[in-house]
Amino acid sequence: MKTLLIEDDPTAVFLTKRLFHHEGIPDELTTFLSPQKGLDFIRAQLAAGLPPEVILLDLNMPILNGWDVLAALEPLQEHLLGRCLVYILTSSLATTDLARAEAHPLVTGFIHKPLKRDELLAIQTQVQESHLN
Amino acid sequence: MNTGAPIATKEMRFRSLFENSPELILYQDRAGVILDANPAFLALVGEPKDRVLHHLYTDFLPPDVHELFDEKLREALTGRTVRFDMYTSQGKSAPRHWDVVKIPLQEHGQVVGVHMVARDISEKTRTQEELVAQNQDLQQFTYIVSHNLRAPLANALGLVDLLGQEAAGTPEFEQARTFLAHNLHQLDLVLRDMNTILTIRDRQDLTAPEQVELPEVVQQVVTSLQDVLDQCGGTVEVALPTGLHLPANRAYIYSIFFNLLSNAIKYRAEHRPLRVVISAEQGPAGELTLAVADNGSGFDQAQAGTNLFKLYQRFHPQQPGRGVGLYLVKTHVESMGGRIEVASRLDVGTRFTIFLPATSA
Repeated sequence: MKTLLIEDDPTAVFLTKRLFHHEGIPDELTTFLSPQKGLDFIRAQLAAGLPPEVILLDLNMPILNGWDVLAALEPLQEHLLGRCLVYILTSSLATTDLARAEAHPLVTGFIHKPLKRDELLAIQTQVQESHLN
Repeated sequence: MNTGAPIATKEMRFRSLFENSPELILYQDRAGVILDANPAFLALVGEPKDRVLHHLYTDFLPPDVHELFDEKLREALTGRTVRFDMYTSQGKSAPRHWDVVKIPLQEHGQVVGVHMVARDISEKTRTQEELVAQNQDLQQFTYIVSHNLRAPLANALGLVDLLGQEAAGTPEFEQARTFLAHNLHQLDLVLRDMNTILTIRDRQDLTAPEQVELPEVVQQVVTSLQDVLDQCGGTVEVALPTGLHLPANRAYIYSIFFNLLSNAIKYRAEHRPLRVVISAEQGPAGELTLAVADNGSGFDQAQAGTNLFKLYQRFHPQQPGRGVGLYLVKTHVESMGGRIEVASRLDVGTRFTIFLPATSA
């Protein structure tokens, strides 16, 4: 399950990396502390026909926040839908963030940090289901 | 039953209302010429009655509102009562918020003139604006609780879980412990920031201002940052008139200049020595304009938008900082009844300008 994590907080990156390690899939995770570099990576992978299957996207980042990243991905929507599931991974408890995420066509799910094992397994199941469709 | 008291005539009753009302009352003919004006209006514009009657009402209004008033008059002349809000000076008065009603007077089915009643709603408007501002602050605090307090806490929860899975003594175990300490420290900092800010807001109306010698406080700030300035080869020119003082809280003035100067140092341009100019200008009415201008790295104003002064907003991810300084500066300035503006150009420099009203300057 090729996964891209866009997250500016080194602790959160470390936690997600260790979770993937303990699940035995450390090589499936690519991380970017810079949202801009994350976006460049997505565009390059799309061009190469290898978009990540899962994007875990933080919301609260300086300069380019998670919503800005989603807005930048909107023009690529038709290439991403069905091939790449975007999950918001945030510490935010704000209900406005949740409502906004649910309304966004590119967002599959909203997860409160830290990402837990059962949530990762649920993502894997959703990816497999999306492949069957 | 006859009480014996004389019954005022209709004319007397209306005259009394007209003469004694704190509301401004005018009667204008179809051309907008004032045919009658009550004492409240004369007192406001600061003119005797003979300089008001038979003049156009617009003569007492600044040009920028003429069109609006003409339009509303025309609307009333069609036989409709018109009501609108506006912010304007009148005659020699200071600008104020007015709730204006224009009531047409009809004779034989023809509108012959228009009565105007204007009520000063400045106080009410100010209270409303304060309420809106306080609501925005509350929303911001909700945001802080949901993001800035929750983020290190969520990390700590994850790390405690992880410590149970990593073998003691491994590099990952040690790393998790280091991260845990860092996040708990972060949590403590956010709580302290919130405490600082809430304390300022709480005391805003209570602090009795003292006479603060501005050049002295600014010099103290420069001295306290002299080491860092020397290290980066930076210079500060303090161009303040000697003896310039203002009634304010000394600690707030210190905090304003400390934060602005620290920012100038932090965001200096790498390839030229930092130069900061701190200047002040006193206006004719005693209002004060303070400026802190640097030749630093600047920032993209379009990108920063209105977020620059917001709490926990960061624009330089590669630089350490929590996004508290400018929020504190703004809070201090506003607690003195002033406002702060910023102008910046990428790789040219940044200029913060603080406007303090005459009452506090």
